[in-house]
Amino acid sequence: MVRAVPTPLRILAWVFVGLCAVFLLGPLVVVVGVSLSESRFVAFPPNGLSLQWYQRVLASDAYLAAGWLSLRVAVLVTISATLLGGAAAVAIHRRKLPGSEAMGAFFLSPLVLPTIIYAIGMLMLWSMLFGPVSVPVLWLAHTVIASPYVVRTTLAVLADSDPFLEEAAATMGAGRMQRLLLVVLPQCTPGLAAGAFFAFNVSFDEAVLSLFLRRPGMTTLPVQIYSELEFSPDPSVAAVSTIMILITIALILIIDRIVGVQKVASS
Amino acid sequence: MTDRQENLLLVLPGLLLLAVAFFVPIAQMLVLAFQGPEGPTLDHFRRFLGDEFYLGVLWRTVKLSTLITFWCLIIGFPLAYIMARVGPRARLWLVVMVILPLMTSVVIRTFGWMVVLSRSGLIPSTLRDFGLVGRSFSLMHTEAAIVIGMVQVLLPFMALSILGVMLRIDPRLEEAARTMGCGFLQAVRTVVFPLAVPGIVAGSLLVFTLSASSFITPNLLGGPRVQVLAASIYRQVTQTLDWNFAAAQAVILFAGVLLVLIPYIRLARRADG
Amino acid sequence: MTPIKTLSLSAAATLMASAAFGQTLTINSFGGAYEEAHRKCIITPFEEATGANVQVVTAYSADGFAQLRAQRDAPQFDVIHFSGGQEIVAAAEGLLSPIDPASLSNVDGLVEAARPNLEGGEGPSYSIVALGLLYNAEVLDGPANWTDLTNPEWFENLVLTDMSNTYGMQGFLMLNQALGGSLDDIQPGLDAVAEMLDGGAIVVSTSPEIMQEFAQNDAWVAPYSSDYAFVLQDAGLPIGFNQAAEGTPGVYITANLVAGRPNQELALQLIDRSISPEAQVCFAEEMGYAPTNVNAELTGETAENTPFGAEALAGLVRFDPQVIEERRSEWVDAWNRTIAR
Repeated sequence: MVRAVPTPLRILAWVFVGLCAVFLLGPLVVVVGVSLSESRFVAFPPNGLSLQWYQRVLASDAYLAAGWLSLRVAVLVTISATLLGGAAAVAIHRRKLPGSEAMGAFFLSPLVLPTIIYAIGMLMLWSMLFGPVSVPVLWLAHTVIASPYVVRTTLAVLADSDPFLEEAAATMGAGRMQRLLLVVLPQCTPGLAAGAFFAFNVSFDEAVLSLFLRRPGMTTLPVQIYSELEFSPDPSVAAVSTIMILITIALILIIDRIVGVQKVASS
Repeated sequence: MTDRQENLLLVLPGLLLLAVAFFVPIAQMLVLAFQGPEGPTLDHFRRFLGDEFYLGVLWRTVKLSTLITFWCLIIGFPLAYIMARVGPRARLWLVVMVILPLMTSVVIRTFGWMVVLSRSGLIPSTLRDFGLVGRSFSLMHTEAAIVIGMVQVLLPFMALSILGVMLRIDPRLEEAARTMGCGFLQAVRTVVFPLAVPGIVAGSLLVFTLSASSFITPNLLGGPRVQVLAASIYRQVTQTLDWNFAAAQAVILFAGVLLVLIPYIRLARRADG
Repeated sequence: MTPIKTLSLSAAATLMASAAFGQTLTINSFGGAYEEAHRKCIITPFEEATGANVQVVTAYSADGFAQLRAQRDAPQFDVIHFSGGQEIVAAAEGLLSPIDPASLSNVDGLVEAARPNLEGGEGPSYSIVALGLLYNAEVLDGPANWTDLTNPEWFENLVLTDMSNTYGMQGFLMLNQALGGSLDDIQPGLDAVAEMLDGGAIVVSTSPEIMQEFAQNDAWVAPYSSDYAFVLQDAGLPIGFNQAAEGTPGVYITANLVAGRPNQELALQLIDRSISPEAQVCFAEEMGYAPTNVNAELTGETAENTPFGAEALAGLVRFDPQVIEERRSEWVDAWNRTIAR
């Protein structure tokens, strides 16, 4: 902490953080409130208190199966997107390849188009070449839209890194693998961590690709939620989100206990 | 192995993935923009560019994306700075606060906003109690609703992008500036901000492109009366079934976003030195 | 009947059933309460009768159509259900197989409007959603006419549906007709909508938003569908549904045979079951859908709320779906211009 931050600014900072908290968490409070409602329609403040929507969700094979599929896909996507995106970012950052800058823009392009265009195009192509879709197609498509995040966050962190460290390591006789793993990788870590988090989240919350690239028995959680909306828009949808919020908090606390989040979040 | 080979090896898997699994399927969709019942045509572009309604949608998309990026930056930069400078425990809770909105499904989170913003919702009814607005005042289905909802969703992308870079800035640099007589704000402006530019660029790029291309939140909060381009594309694909026109709109969106982004990247690179 | 004959008959029946045994059909359904009713009335009895296995993908008509069109080379659905007239486009694009009426045992009971173009590939309709006026029964007695919607006192509490939604399109066309317009002239409808919006009416594009408006935001009246009135009542909201005097547009839900699939015979059996009187009575009781088979006899409360039988069905308004498909783009553009802020 830099000493002597003026006191008014300090107070201002905490007021600011408080306002941010209200803004960011306000709608979530509504969601949690709705999930506890007794009524069968979405209402806030809730009419009466009840845990019935949690019971319904936890007893529902459809929600559990969808949650499990989403989780598996998201984990796979996190791994593949972080590996591919991180490696690409390192190479782009070195600016030794022709067209490095163009490549940086190229890697952003999956975010520019609405996913519906990509989803339909992918479905058309896959059906034409290989026939029915399967989980690997979804993995592939999610990796495509998740890796730009990793590339961007890693590039941002590398921009501030010391280019001479790698040279120094080479001078002292480190091999290519050693340099990558021992010098470059630690430099990238904060970017990779943020990118991996985004990648997981993008895949887990992605509804459009998952809606079109599917066959019977292959329903992800967001699609399951979407499918319930038209004819049974009850608070169980809010209960699913509340469970997600709780799992997130629990996960962060567990990671903190074991390794200390500041290590994950900062390197 | 040469340096060049090593770099190629690093970047190729990603490039291949994008080329094969993104550009080929996208190209297949986008060529539809140039196809009509009687062979190649530019009619779909003419329909778009000749119609004030669609031009308005395009303009609104660019305007709102810019506004959303601006607000994310205004809120995200100080937030990331505070996160970088507080102790690890407080930082943990701030990180939790920032990422929790990402953990709820976008549909239900938007329902949360509908509850807060609609006619009998919290904000309009409070304003009404103070006599500031009329009886039927509602924030739903306005451009303001889209900006509010999108900033909440996209703020984590901005804040975490900047935080990643900010954490690597040596606090002693700032301290040195202070010792040499800089005021607090001057130190932030002349030392921290320039060093954080890569994070700001990364965050703005993510936020801008995401706000231009996402449709669920703008569609629900803006409603049919305040359409953005991505929502219009979605409608054309699934409801009116005019894929050629949808593809033309996608091409225009793509071009429009690039037109804004390329000068921005250039500018940012110059600022970065 | 001699024992031997009985035995051979039952053996034949077993054989016939086992012909389909273990075969799989993939179909779409619309999720939630609809899918539950769909399973109960059609899918489960079909599986029990044939030994086939039916896999259901929850996909609304619009998403289902997009998937069907994109998967032209390798369709995954055997039977696809549409509620928005998508079968006309799909049939014209060759995505659906023509159906020989002789292959459907229940086809003779269908009203003419439920089987306009079987040979062209447009599947038969197995239920009809009636469009009328949803209202908050605690505030209003129930509007009786489409023209009541132009009452300025209701504007602030009026919920309209966007034209991108099938119910929105049909409701708009009905309002337009009630106000003196026609399929050649939708200006009267557009003018009325412009006035409603100026007076504070809102436009939504999805069903859950309509529920939200009634549950949370003091909506009084919305032109919408009978099945959604069912869903809202089921959720405990005080919602009434009126068929308005000028006419009740019917939205036809169709079961379509997808082209290029191996199990077409079995798929036809499923379609045949969908248009059977038993299945339709069941659907009417569960969801309030009007049967398309004149032989479906409704009783009790269901009979009071649901049109059935040749005469009642003939009274439903049906806007020419071909015309709608031809002019959709033009109308949607005009609508968008009217409602844009």
